[in-house]
Amino acid sequence: MTTNVPALDAGAAAAGPRRNFLDVATGFWSWASTLDHKRIGLMYLVGVSLAFLCGGLFALLVRLHLWEPHGTLFSNADYNQIFTLHGAFMVFLFVIPAIPGSLGNILLPLMLGAKDVALPRLNLLSFYLWLVGAALATLAIVFGGFDTGWTFYTPYSLYTEQAVVTIGLAVFVLGFSSIFTGLNFIVTVHKLRAPGMTWFRMPLFVWALYATSLLQVLATPVLGITVLLVAFERLYHVGIFDPRLGGDPVLFEHFFWFYSHPAVYIMVLPAFGIISELVSVHSRKPVFGYKLIAYSSIAIAVISFLVWGHHMFTSGQSTYAMFAFSFLTFFVAIPTAIKEFSWVATVWRGSIALNSPMLYTLAFLIIFSIGGLTGVILGALAVNLHLHDTYFVVAHFHYVMMGSIAVAFFAGLHHWWPKIFGVMYDEFLAKIACGIIFVGFNATFIPQFIMGSRGMPRRYATYVPDYTDFHKASTIGAIVLGCGIALMVYYLVASLFQRRQAMQNHWGGVTLEWHAPTPPPVENFTTPPVVTTEVYDYSTLDLDTMRRPVQ
Amino acid sequence: MFAHLIQDPPKNFVEDPAPPVVPDAAGQLPRLASTFTDVDGLYYFTIVVCIFFFVLIAGVLAYTVVAHRRKTIDQAPASNATHNTPLEVVWTVVPLIIVMVMFAWGFKGSIDMTTVPVDARWYKATAKQWNWTFTYPNSTQESYGELWLEVDKNAAFVLESTDVLHAFYMPSMRVKRDVIPGRNQTVWFRPTEVGVYHLFCAEYCGNDHSRMYAKVNVVTAEQYASKPPPWVKWDDSTPSAAAASAEKQIYRTLCLACHTTNGAQLVGPSWTNLFVRQADGTVVGAQREVVVAGQRQTITVDEAYIAESIRKPDAKKVIGFENLPMAAFALDDQKIKGLVEFMKTLAPAAK
Ligand code: HEC
Ligand SMILES: [Cu+2]
Ligand SMILES: [Cu+2]
Repeated sequence: MTTNVPALDAGAAAAGPRRNFLDVATGFWSWASTLDHKRIGLMYLVGVSLAFLCGGLFALLVRLHLWEPHGTLFSNADYNQIFTLHGAFMVFLFVIPAIPGSLGNILLPLMLGAKDVALPRLNLLSFYLWLVGAALATLAIVFGGFDTGWTFYTPYSLYTEQAVVTIGLAVFVLGFSSIFTGLNFIVTVHKLRAPGMTWFRMPLFVWALYATSLLQVLATPVLGITVLLVAFERLYHVGIFDPRLGGDPVLFEHFFWFYSHPAVYIMVLPAFGIISELVSVHSRKPVFGYKLIAYSSIAIAVISFLVWGHHMFTSGQSTYAMFAFSFLTFFVAIPTAIKEFSWVATVWRGSIALNSPMLYTLAFLIIFSIGGLTGVILGALAVNLHLHDTYFVVAHFHYVMMGSIAVAFFAGLHHWWPKIFGVMYDEFLAKIACGIIFVGFNATFIPQFIMGSRGMPRRYATYVPDYTDFHKASTIGAIVLGCGIALMVYYLVASLFQRRQAMQNHWGGVTLEWHAPTPPPVENFTTPPVVTTEVYDYSTLDLDTMRRPVQ
Repeated sequence: MFAHLIQDPPKNFVEDPAPPVVPDAAGQLPRLASTFTDVDGLYYFTIVVCIFFFVLIAGVLAYTVVAHRRKTIDQAPASNATHNTPLEVVWTVVPLIIVMVMFAWGFKGSIDMTTVPVDARWYKATAKQWNWTFTYPNSTQESYGELWLEVDKNAAFVLESTDVLHAFYMPSMRVKRDVIPGRNQTVWFRPTEVGVYHLFCAEYCGNDHSRMYAKVNVVTAEQYASKPPPWVKWDDSTPSAAAASAEKQIYRTLCLACHTTNGAQLVGPSWTNLFVRQADGTVVGAQREVVVAGQRQTITVDEAYIAESIRKPDAKKVIGFENLPMAAFALDDQKIKGLVEFMKTLAPAAK
C-alpha cells in the first residue's frame, strides 16, 4: 500500500530530521498552501476559536440585555438579530466544525499511524470552504443581518426583509466543508490504518470521528437542499413552504430537523471521543467497555436519523408520529447512558491524575450527566408539551453544546496542546480557569432550567417581571463564565510565547500519537509504526518519555 | 443596528401583565390550574430519577478521585478491569426499563391533552404579528389581548394564524400548541382555579415576539354569565376616563407595536401630541400636516380624522410617515370613541 506523501513543504526534506511541522517552513504562503493535516488543523483551530469568541460576545450581549424585563440595550428587532447571530455563529461556525476540523484533523492520521489524511487537497479545500462560509456569514451581517433564529423557520424566514439568502448561502457552503471533511475521514480510516491497526485497535476518538463522518456525509446534503429551497422560495416564490402560495411551513421543519437532529450528534460524538481518550490516559486504565462504546457510537449515528420529530411535538403531529418519535428518542438515550457509565467506570479505581485536562474531563462528566438527563425529561411527551420552546430547552441544549461539547473541546485542547506545540501552558492558571468556567457555566444555566419550567419562553427580547431574578442570576453567571474563558485564552496564547517546554509524552498516553516525536515532524513518524499491542495497554507505557522534555 | 446603544432603546414590553406565576410546592413548575396532572406527575418522577443518577455519578466520581488520586508518576491503577458483563447488562437494562415507563406515561398524558372532550366550548384564537384576538362560543364578540374563561368548563380553541408561525402557550395550564398559517390547530384545557394567567406566544415570530401576550381571566360561572367583561358596554354618560380605560386594551394589543404613548417614535407617530390640553382644562385637537392624494394639507385632529386613520390609513398620511404602512383596522364606533378618549388622556398642556 502506498500512502500520500505531502507534496508541500518542499524544503522539509532538506531541513533535516529535527524540524517539526511548525518550523519546517515559515511565511504566510507556507500556511495558506499547506497540505499538512496538522497545519490545516491549526488554521481551523484559529478560525473556530475566533468564531467561538464572536459567538460568545453575542451571548454576553444577549445576557446583558436581559438584565431588566424591558431589556436594557437593544430594540426588540436588534435583539432578535443578536440572538440569531449567537446561535448561527456558534452552531455553524463553531460547534459543528470545531472538533473534527481542528483536533480531528491533527490527530486522526497520528492516531492511525498515517502520514496524512487520505485526501490532503480536499482537506485544504474544506478549510477554505469554511473560510468562505464564515465570510458570507459576516457579509450577511453587513447586508442587514438576519433575525430568523438559527432554525430559519418558514414562513417567517420567507417574509422578513433581511439577508436570509446570504446566510443561507453561508450555511450551504459550510455544509460542503463539513461533507468533505467527513468524506476524507472515512476514506482515511478505511485506507490508512498502520499495519496491525485493526478496527478494534483504533482509539475511540477515531471511532467517534468515523461515526461523525458518516452522519456528516449522509445528513448534511438534506440541510443543503433545504436552504436552497428556502432561497428559491424567497427569490422565485415557488410555493413549497409559503402557505400563501399553497406551501407547507411544517414541511420545512421536517426537512430542517431531519438534518439538525443528526447534527446534534455530529456535534457531540467527537466530544464523546475526546472524553473516551482522556478518561483513559489520566486514569491510566484501558477504557471500560471499549467495544460497547465503539458500537454505541455507530448505534447513535443510525438511530439519530429517526428521532427528528421530537422537535415538533407541539406542531400537531399525528398520534402515531408522536408515539414513534418519542419512543425512539428514549431509545437513543440508552447508548448515550452506556457511554457515561463506561467513562465513570474507567475513572473508577484508576491512577487518577488531577491535572487540567482531567479537571475539564470531570467537568464534562458532571455537566453532561445533567445535559443528558434533562434531555430525557424533554423526551417525555406530556412534559414536552409544557417545556417545548422555553428556557428549559435553552438550558438543556447549552448543557450539551456549551457545557459538554465546548468543555470537551477545551479538555482535548489542554490534553494535546503539549503534543501539538511542544510547550506547556500554566497548569495552575488552567486549573483555576477550569473552576471558574465550571461555576460560571452552572450559574448561567441552572436559573434557566428553573425559569423554563416556570414557563419563560425562549427568544424573548423582553419578559414579564416574574422571571427577573432568574435572568439576573443567569447574567451574572455568564459574566463569570466569560471571565473564565478569557483567562483560558490568555494562558493558552501566553504559553506559545513563554515556551515552557513540555515532556515528550506529557500525560503518559499510549495511543500512537504519543509515539510520534513532539511536536510531530511533517511526515508524523520517523519510522512508520507497526501496531502489535491492544489499544490502551498501559503496560507498554515508558515512564521516561513522561520525564524527558522536548528539545 | 447599534444605533440604539447610543439612543435610549424603546421600551417595548408587556405593560400590565397578569400577576406573577405562583410556583407549586416543589418550586419548579407554576401551580397547576388545569386538569393535566400527568405533566406534573411525570415531570417530578423524571426529576427524581435524574437526581438519583446524577448523585450516583457525581458520588462515584468524587469518591474515586479522592481515594485513587495519582501521587507518584509511576502509580499503577487500583484496578485494571476492562469490562464486567453483569454490570453492563444492569446499566443497559435498568435505564431501558425506566425510560419505557416514562415513555408510556408521557404518551398517555399527551393523548389526554390532544383529545378534545365533546362538551367543550369552542373559542377561536387568532394569532397575528404580534397580538392575539379571541372570539367566543356562539357569539361574534371579540376581545383583544385579553380572554375570559369560565372556571371548571372545558375550553377548546381553534387556532388560526394570519401570517407566520406562533404558538399558544399557557404555562399554568400546561398547554402549548403551534399556530400554523393555513392549518387549523386545536388545543383544549379545563381551567380549575379562578385567577389571571399568562398566555405567551412560544414560537418565534419576529420583532415583537416577546410582546405577543394575552391575559387570561378565569372567572366564576356567575361572573362569566352576568357581565362578560370583554365587551363591557358604555355609553355617552360614562365618564371619559372609564371609557378610555375600557378600550385601552385595544391600544396595548393592536397598536403598541407601532405607536408609543411617551413621545418616542416607532413605526408610526407617537400619540402624545394628537390633542392638546388648554389652560382651562379642555382638550382640543392639534394641528397636523398630512398628505392627501399627493397634496399637502393642514388639518385639525378630531374623531373623524382618527376614525379615518384607523379604518383607511392611506387616505391621509402624516408627513414624515408617508411611506410607512399601517394596516387598516375595522373597529366599531364605540371602540374608536374609547380610543379617542384614551388619546386625550395623553395630551400635553398647551404652551
Ligand atoms: C404596523 C404599524 C402600525 C400599527 C400596528 C398601527 N399603526 Fe397607526 N400608524 C402607523 C403609521 C406608519 C402611521 C403614519 C402614516 C399614516 O398616517 O398612515 C400611523 C398613523 C396613525 C394615526 C394618525 C396619527 C397622527 O399622528 O396623525 C392614528 C390615529 C393611528 N395610526 C391609529 C392607530 C390605531 C388605533 C392602531 C391600533 C388599532 C394603529 N394605529 C396601529 C402604523 C401603525
Ligand atoms: Cu433532536
Ligand atoms: Cu407570535
